[in-house]
Order: sequence, then structure tokens, then C-alpha cells
Amino acid sequence: MSKDIVLRVVDIWKRFGQVEALKGVSLDVYRGELLVLLGPSGSGKSTLLRIIAGLEYPTSGKIYIDGEDITDLPPYKRDTSMIFQHLALFPHMTVYDNVAYGLKIRGIPKDEIDRRVDEVLELVRIRHLKDRKVTQLSGGQQQRVAIARSLILHPKILLLDEPLGALDLKLRKELHIELRRIHQEVGNTWIFVTHDQEEALTLADRIGVMNDGKLIQIGDKWDVYEQPKTRFVAEFIGETNIFECRVVEVYGDRVYAEWRGLKLGVKTDREVKPGESMYLSVRPEYIGLSKDKPSNEGYNIFHGMITDEVFRGSYVMYSIKLDNGEMVKVTVLSKDAEYDPGDEIYLYWRVDKGVPLKE
Amino acid sequence: MKTEVDVKRIRMFISNIPSILYILILFYIPIVILLAISFTPPRKFIVEWVFTLENYVNVFTNPNYYRILLNTFWIVIVATIMLIIIGFPIAYYLARMNRRLGAKILYFLIIPVEINYLIRVYAWKVILGENGFLNLLLISLGIIEKPLTIFFYSWVAVVIVLIHEWLPYVIVPFYVNLVGISDEIYDAAMDLGATRLQIFRTITLPLVKPAILTIVFLVTIPSLGEFAIPYLVGGQSGIMLGVLIDRYLSGFQLAIGAALSFFLLVITLILSMIMIKIFGYEALYTR
Repeated sequence: MSKDIVLRVVDIWKRFGQVEALKGVSLDVYRGELLVLLGPSGSGKSTLLRIIAGLEYPTSGKIYIDGEDITDLPPYKRDTSMIFQHLALFPHMTVYDNVAYGLKIRGIPKDEIDRRVDEVLELVRIRHLKDRKVTQLSGGQQQRVAIARSLILHPKILLLDEPLGALDLKLRKELHIELRRIHQEVGNTWIFVTHDQEEALTLADRIGVMNDGKLIQIGDKWDVYEQPKTRFVAEFIGETNIFECRVVEVYGDRVYAEWRGLKLGVKTDREVKPGESMYLSVRPEYIGLSKDKPSNEGYNIFHGMITDEVFRGSYVMYSIKLDNGEMVKVTVLSKDAEYDPGDEIYLYWRVDKGVPLKE
Repeated sequence: MKTEVDVKRIRMFISNIPSILYILILFYIPIVILLAISFTPPRKFIVEWVFTLENYVNVFTNPNYYRILLNTFWIVIVATIMLIIIGFPIAYYLARMNRRLGAKILYFLIIPVEINYLIRVYAWKVILGENGFLNLLLISLGIIEKPLTIFFYSWVAVVIVLIHEWLPYVIVPFYVNLVGISDEIYDAAMDLGATRLQIFRTITLPLVKPAILTIVFLVTIPSLGEFAIPYLVGGQSGIMLGVLIDRYLSGFQLAIGAALSFFLLVITLILSMIMIKIFGYEALYTR
């Protein structure tokens, strides 16, 4: 993917009365990418989206699309279109009238409207529903109408504000695949807001994690998952174990830390000094289990006892109580899950799979 | 199974007998009696049970009745239009503001309705009457020299009092209707490129059709039969059909009064049917 920047968000602050909703968010969005903004409710992600759409104005900061400052432009003069949380279809109109709305408002000739409506309904595969009232459609079909209504205007940037929130899991998964297909066919830039980390990982090219009005980390979804920068990111995306430890010895990028009486090996590029405290995140799927003591170089190896197992279909999650009394979560593919609660066990992970976090 | 359903039905029917009787005795039987009386000869104090079309011939040929009928319609239509013009912005504003505060203000707008109707009409007299506030104000400002009587005892006064009387019944349906339209709908229209005026024309107006239909049934049609307000504040130019009917009935000219009542009833029915034709039955229960 080219690194051509289509949208530039610069130091956006937004205050609602006493509440600081956004605290200096800066962000570059690349042309053609699908960026997911992920964060808990109240993290400011929807506010940021509404500011990009022009439905809210920032207290300070700038927004540029293709280098042009659009911070003060009203929504109808922006090359963006938004798909709302509750879709906001016009209940008194048919599918055709909903989809054609933006073009009719602009006074486009009828035959061109007809052609473009057919084209976009074909894209979202609901051409046969053209003359239905939107209130007669299922949730998934309404979703497609909302997408068509926005895409017909050929926006440079499509903004999606948790549009799948109201649907059941199966339908959501179906629509995830559809959304990715439509995104690839249309080829424009999408910014998708969600609080569901699984949805984020499924849809995104890149993920931006937000919390408390700030963009905490943004990057390729693999990087964000595997190299979280903060404890919040590590815990919000996927399952993880957090070890609160203290640095004792530093040998270049190789660090030894003390964790509740156990010694951990950590690999880090960061400058750390002995005595410093450190959070270490280790994903449960990177921890291996063995009944015999493994003797691998470059691994952290600990002994403990399985206290609980949770079967999750394709994998099993074990809770293990280590000899120092701390609990650790470990996931194992179901086909390899040969352990039972009460078993004495060794667990191990490669030193570079432990990620040191900033706070 | 089948008998069980039948038993349920019979029970349902039996439990509804009181209300059916109530409606029959208090609504439909009087209408039938009224209809019967309207076909008797126009006599004072007595009803002579002889069939005649005389009253209806009278109603349809006397130009006086047409004048009053037109006057009635004029007053009610002006009042309805004014009510919508005044009531809609208030309701819109209340619906778009903070929900709690909007609902509270709505209560304060409704409370005056609880005050006795006559007291309110007389209160208007204090403002619009010959020695009323408005006249005093205009005189003290030097705009007029002598008090004017046109504010009171005129069709304008009827319109003013009708507006006062019915405003809450216009605001509430609009409010309920508008509160049901989420902010997202307006946001979406704006996002798709609509200006405020376009949003009003293409989104708001079509979506408040149910409220307008409700208002026509709740306010306009009952107003056609209004007699107390035109009687108290209408004077000559503010006369309405209801005043005439009241005059005949209290003058014991039952037959002609009944014929006029029936005439009004039929007009009301036709009007209702036209409204339903325009808006569709669905407007009453969907949005």
C-alpha cells in the first residue's frame, strides 16, 4: 500500500462543557486503507469521527483532506460520508429514495440518478429491494442500504460509527466479509469505529487504539497486537498476562527482572536501568506447557499447577498457579489440550515474546 | 381446541357488553333520534311526528346558513393554520432540547388547560375588551383615540381564543412525533448534503404528517362545532354554526336545530374522509 496521506488530523482537542472528550489527537490516514479506531465507550472515538465528518467542530486543532484545510467546512461541503450507529435511514422513504437522497439534493438529472442507484445497489447486492420501504427490511439489508446511500456520493473517506452494533454475531461476521469485499471493490478510504477488538482485528489494515480522549497507539494490526505499547492496549486487544516486575540486571537489550521472587528474562530496545519497575505482557498463546522440565535456551521457564480449564471450542484456556502464588493464563489448541486441573506443569515462553510496556 | 377459542370469544364479547351498551345508548341512539327529529316539521316547543324534508330544504336554500357555514370554516381554518404555525416551532424546540427540560416545559404549557374554560374566556375580555388592556395600551401610546370594539366581539377574537384554547393540543402531538425522530436522522441528512431548509422539506415535514392528521381530528373538526367561544366573544362577524344550532335548540325549535346539527355532522364526516384519503390510515399509527 502506498503511503499517500489522504486525511491528516492535527492536534484535535474537543471539550463538551466540563468534559474533555479529545485531548490532542493527531493521526494520518493513508489513501485506500481501512483504519479501525478501537476503544472503550467514552474514549472519544465517535467524537473524532463526527469531527472528521463536520458534525462537530473541534475546540482546537486542524483537519486536512488532500492537503486542504477543511476544519471549518460544513458537512455537506466535505468529501466524507458517514454511516451512523443506528443507520439513520429515512423511515418514510423507499430503498431507492434513501439511496438517491444525496444526489437528488444536489439536483442531479433523474436518469443519472437511476443509473448510479442501480450501480451502487448492485455493489451491495440488494438491487432487488429497490422499491421496498426501508422499514420492511431486515437488519442486514438496512445495513447495505446505509452503505449504498453513502457510497453513491463517491466520498473520498467513508466514516463508519459502530454500524454493526445492533446485529447478532452471525450476521456481523457475514457483514465483516461483505464490508471487506466492498472496501476492496470501491478502493476508497474507510475509517471504522468500534469497541469490539475482534471486529477491529477482522476488518482493519491498521488499528488505532483510543482511550480517555487520546490516541494511544496506531499501527499495522499485527504490530498493535504483538507489540502493544501500553498496558491498556495489551489488555484491550486480546487476552494477556501482565507481570509487574522490577529490573535487576541490564546486559544491552537483554534485561533480567524480578517478579514476585522469580527471575524473568526480557528483551527490550528501550533504555532501562536497574531498580526501575516494568510491566511485561505475555499473550497466553505464546506460553507453552510441558509435563517434563524443558531445557530450551532463551526461554523463561516456571513451574506451577493447573487450577482451572475453560473450553472455548478451538482452544482451551488454562489457569495456572505458579510456585510464587501468581496466576497465569495459557491457551492451548484443543487438539493439544491433554492436561487436567490438578496437574503439575512447566510453562515456558521465548524471551522475546514478553513485551515490556510503558505503564 | 376450537371450543376453547369459542369460549374465549364469548367471554371477550360478554366483558365488552357494558362498553358497547354505553356507546350505543349515549352516542348512537341520540344521533338516530336527532336524525328522526330533523325530518319533522319546524314547530316551536313540540315535535310533530310527520315526515317532511322542509328543514333540509330550508338549510340548503337559505343563503344565511351558507354565509354562517363559510364563516365557520373560515374561522376554523385560520385558527388551525395559526395553531400549526405557532405550535410547530415550540414543539420542535422542545423536542430538540434536553429531554427532561423539554418535558418539564411541556407540562407548564399544558397546565393552563386545567383552568376553567369560562374563566379563560373572561380573562381574554380583560385584555381584548372595550376597556381592556390592549385598548388602554393603544390609547396611551396615542395610536387610537377611542377604544376599539373590533378586538372583542369579532371573528378575530374567536380565532385568538381558539388558538389559546387548543394550542396545547397542537404542541403535544407535534412534540410526541418530533421526539421520535432521532438526531441521527438530521445528522445523516446533513452529512448527505442537505441544507437546513432541504432537511425541513424532505425529512421533518413528511415525518410529522401523523401529527398534522391528529391535529385535524383533535382540533379542527371539533372546532367546527364550537359554540361557547363565538357566543361569548364572536359578535356578528364571529358567528359560527354552533351558535345558530344552540340558538334553535335553546329556543325549542328542535327540528331545524337537528337538521343543522346533522348537516354539520355530515360535513365533518366528509372532511374526515378526505383527510384519511390524503394521509392514509397508516398515518394514525405509524411514523
